[in-house]
Amino acid sequence: MTVKDHSSADDQTLVRASQRGDMAAFEELVARHRDRVYARAYGMMRNEEEAIDLSQEAWVKGWQRLRQFHGESSFGTWMTRIIINLCLDQLRKHKRQRAESIEAMEEESGGVERQMPVITVNPTAGLERSELRQRIDQALGQLSYEHRMSLVLHEFEGMEYKEIAKTMGCSIGTVMSRLFYARRKLAALLADLKNRNSV
Amino acid sequence: MDYKAQLKLQALLDGELPEGEASAVTKWVAEDCEAAALLEELRNTRGALAEFEAEVRLPESREFFWSKVEREIQRLETPAPKPARESYWALVRRFLVPASAVAVVLLAGLMLIRPAGSTGRSVATDIETALADSGAFTYRDYSAGTTLVWLSYPADNEVVDSDEMDTFE
Repeated sequence: MTVKDHSSADDQTLVRASQRGDMAAFEELVARHRDRVYARAYGMMRNEEEAIDLSQEAWVKGWQRLRQFHGESSFGTWMTRIIINLCLDQLRKHKRQRAESIEAMEEESGGVERQMPVITVNPTAGLERSELRQRIDQALGQLSYEHRMSLVLHEFEGMEYKEIAKTMGCSIGTVMSRLFYARRKLAALLADLKNRNSV
Repeated sequence: MDYKAQLKLQALLDGELPEGEASAVTKWVAEDCEAAALLEELRNTRGALAEFEAEVRLPESREFFWSKVEREIQRLETPAPKPARESYWALVRRFLVPASAVAVVLLAGLMLIRPAGSTGRSVATDIETALADSGAFTYRDYSAGTTLVWLSYPADNEVVDSDEMDTFE
């Protein structure tokens, strides 16, 4: 039995073949989009192992729900929606298990980001890619899940305020506040990391 | 700069302001260096994140990751094995074994109480036969469940042949 080479087929063709039960076609889709799905999971979870497990779960769900995909969006976007929902569910479980974070308390007490001095120098300018990644990784890890989530959905997923509000179950005003706080805090954390490294 | 104005700057960066308002905010940024600095900071953060996203890669090989996904799909798609249909003989056996046990217990019980019951005659007759030559007489009252055995010494059948009895008569 010969295995059909799917590497030259476009996503649409692969999706149709997968919907007919062609596992080899689905494997090609996984290979093409696995980094994107994983990146979204990692951005939200900040934990490599958990992000890998959730990515795997997302692909299994993707296969099971393939018949529900009618091409309203690209296949990659459809898959990232699946992983986002899985991550949100997982984070809600985490949140129920842990006490209120310091960041959430800051958000409630309000306004620290309004008084933060503006970072006039780009703290990531001139950095090697690996170093940049490491610093952002570190800084993102210090944000609360609500702030990180708003940032990831907006910056990486390209969602509008309205869409983020719907996904996270909050108001547009809350999304704007969270985004603003996350960006300002991130800028401050990156500047701080730069200062510490240059000393 | 108030908080509302700060959020408007962010909305400008994100393209979330209506056209008219966007041009008004743009004009304001051009005239206010504090607003321009904040907008620049927000823009830098956004740029840094765009670089970061491009760098993230799944730390597992294509083959290994797919093997896990495929295995899980197959596991979920394999229907759980149905319990095998019980054969007719197995059904019979299931009821036959306890029924036999009950029957054995009943039989054993019946045999134990038999001598006192109305059907004890055959057992008693055996005894009578066994003792026939020893000169024993048996009296049974079935209604009271009582058995009396009268033994004569010497035995009656021996008396006839005995010289001693002849003397006595």
